[in-house]
Amino acid sequence: MTSIIDPIERGGSGGLSAWVGHLVDTVVSWPRAYRHAYRRAPRRTVLLTILVILILVYPLLNRFLLQPISRGFPLPIPDDTTVVFMLIFATMAVGLNIVIGFAGLLDLGYVAFYALGAYTAAYLASPHWSTLSIVLFTDLPAGFPGIHLPFFIIFWAAALVAATFGVLLGAPTLRLRGDYLAIVTLGFGEIVPIFFKNLVNVNFELGPIKLVNANITGGPLGINPIDAPSFFGIKFGVINGFAPVYLAMAVVLLCIVIARNLERSRMGRAWMAIREDEIAAEMMGVNTVRTKLLAFGLGASFAGFAGALQASYQGATTSDFFMFATSILVVIMIILGGIGNIWGVILGAIVVQYVDKTLLGWVGQRLNDFGEASGNTFLEQINPSSFSFLLLGLALVAMMRFRPEGFLPSRQRAAELHSAPPDQVIASPGVTDDVIGFEQPLEGGPGAAELAELDPDAVDPNANVGRAEPRSGAEPDAIDPRPEGDR
Amino acid sequence: MDEQILQTIIIGLSNGLIYALVALGYTLVYGIIELINFAHGDVFMLGSMLALTLLVAFGVTTGADILTTVGLISIVLLITMAATATLNVSIERVAYRPLRHAPRLAPLISAIGMSFVLQNVGLLWKGPANVGYPDVIPNINVLTTVFGFDTNVSLSYKQLFTAAVTIPLLIALTWFVSKTRQGKAMRATAQDPDTAGLMGVDVNRTIAITFIIAGMLAGAAGLVQILYNNTTVWNLGFRFGLNAFTSAVLGGIGNLQGAVLGGIVLGLINAFSDRYLSAQWTNAIVFGVLIAILVFRPTGLLGQQLADRA
Repeated sequence: MTSIIDPIERGGSGGLSAWVGHLVDTVVSWPRAYRHAYRRAPRRTVLLTILVILILVYPLLNRFLLQPISRGFPLPIPDDTTVVFMLIFATMAVGLNIVIGFAGLLDLGYVAFYALGAYTAAYLASPHWSTLSIVLFTDLPAGFPGIHLPFFIIFWAAALVAATFGVLLGAPTLRLRGDYLAIVTLGFGEIVPIFFKNLVNVNFELGPIKLVNANITGGPLGINPIDAPSFFGIKFGVINGFAPVYLAMAVVLLCIVIARNLERSRMGRAWMAIREDEIAAEMMGVNTVRTKLLAFGLGASFAGFAGALQASYQGATTSDFFMFATSILVVIMIILGGIGNIWGVILGAIVVQYVDKTLLGWVGQRLNDFGEASGNTFLEQINPSSFSFLLLGLALVAMMRFRPEGFLPSRQRAAELHSAPPDQVIASPGVTDDVIGFEQPLEGGPGAAELAELDPDAVDPNANVGRAEPRSGAEPDAIDPRPEGDR
Repeated sequence: MDEQILQTIIIGLSNGLIYALVALGYTLVYGIIELINFAHGDVFMLGSMLALTLLVAFGVTTGADILTTVGLISIVLLITMAATATLNVSIERVAYRPLRHAPRLAPLISAIGMSFVLQNVGLLWKGPANVGYPDVIPNINVLTTVFGFDTNVSLSYKQLFTAAVTIPLLIALTWFVSKTRQGKAMRATAQDPDTAGLMGVDVNRTIAITFIIAGMLAGAAGLVQILYNNTTVWNLGFRFGLNAFTSAVLGGIGNLQGAVLGGIVLGLINAFSDRYLSAQWTNAIVFGVLIAILVFRPTGLLGQQLADRA
């Protein structure tokens, strides 16, 4: 995997967009330029092309080959719904990665934006507002009760709503320090589902606004049925087999393109500068408030995409989908996968979702069968799925201790996580002549040999923050004389 | 005063004292290593489950005479406190100490992981449903039966029991931190671990002792929870823990008196919200309070004392 991913990371020729262009050229001029293109293509292009073809064929393969086989001979093959949810979680992971991975803001209430996206989609494509009848660009008859807009619109509307709430939450809270911000977002993530659960039978009177037994959110039952996404007459709902997998893939691809462009933009570099040292970034002219707000809002909008996809795909949404555990699940995905690296977090989402939803159940079934056959009651009754959070929790603790950068790390983040904080350096004898280890690589950080090994292309020439690796362990707290409450 | 309001205050105070016990654990740990110990609420939850198991094992019931009951409950209390203290200090050793010099968010994430592990242990141990324990301490109104007041307000032995366990522990803790040599080491470590180390304080040992104390308080709170609220469940630690953490923040995190005050205030907020608004909104109100405090007054009601930071 690494050999395929790394070349993009290096981005010598412009990364994904250039590669997509290259791929399109190759395909369009295939017959004539076949040999030419093939000989000229770097090895990574060939590998990537194979990977993309595999991904595109996978839903068909899964449906028509692997699933039938697994019916006769049990294999841990995910069903179509699990695959769609892998991709929904991948969307969220890419979005949360902007907030945590790029900007370094720990958001523990990300599920709130997922919920906002889902309910926005539900409001705009269901009979919920039955007194209204707004039917636009859908195949439903005019006069059908409720608001019914096409997926293309609600998808963006959900992102807009989520981003708006992200900015509204962020504006007063983003000046808080890391762990306080984590708690505030956690609180927000709990409050939003409580509202969705409780705003049913609302009686409210304020001036001209008068609500009597108003059903605003559908209460504990949630909202259903929600229109399935539909393009050119093809439906992409939960009953439509593998087709929604392609829709979800398109959403993830969109997110990848947006996130990669953001990462390479001026804004992306500002995020990383803030993550590494907020004070220094501010000194360099980064508007930290605006930059953090944008990270929060854009990150939230991805959860809006995911929410719209969830609601439209499943045709129903309830507040029970949006638990604290879901927020943490996404955090676990990006930490296991490789915080800061888009490919890593997508892999993390897919693997965690796969293990949680398919593999553990499969293993449990095998153990139960084996227990039944051998008369072992312990194995017969064991249910590994009930251990899933135990395993994920242990994985989180172990990762923090042994490999905090995740399995597919971003280089900058890895260097940051492995460097010692400045107070360590002052205390260690070798570097006392050097106040905060300014030029000298820190103990435990990337040594000179390691730095020399770094491919010059590895660091984006535009991303100046990448050069600051040896100092990147510095925590703002270490040098800020102000009392923390004032920040 | 309106009897209903008085009754609500009594309920709020007794719940607030349990919040205070757990909140002290958050505030002690935060004061000394600036870590929001997410797993603390779950240590409390496991404490309540252990207390429940022990009460069942010892056959503590209403029928027995008072001395036997008090004796058995004291034994259960000591065992539970010892067990949760051991658990808490082991968590510190495994999940937090190796990350002491890592970036700030690393131990926080590790704590979240630990919290999930403990919740799942609780889930596997007692199953997904609430587990209850019958009233051991008679639920008799002291005001009418003992003092002979003519009133509808109820103050039960159970409520007096929460005070009887909580208040001595709070006094003992305050004495420990402010008067003993080890308490001085804790305050020094909270202020500046490096300097404290140079002055001869064994920082690792001091932090371990802080976790032991926090764990003991969580264990005591677990027993009180079982005997007062009569129920526990695997995700109790999350809800209750967030309430307790809110209490700690409310009073000024790192501040021992603040945690107690915050616990009581939060208990009252909870009770009034349950009584006059609706129980289903109480959590939203608690989180709203938490967010408002963090945004507008991050140092809490009493500000910082134990640690001059945060």
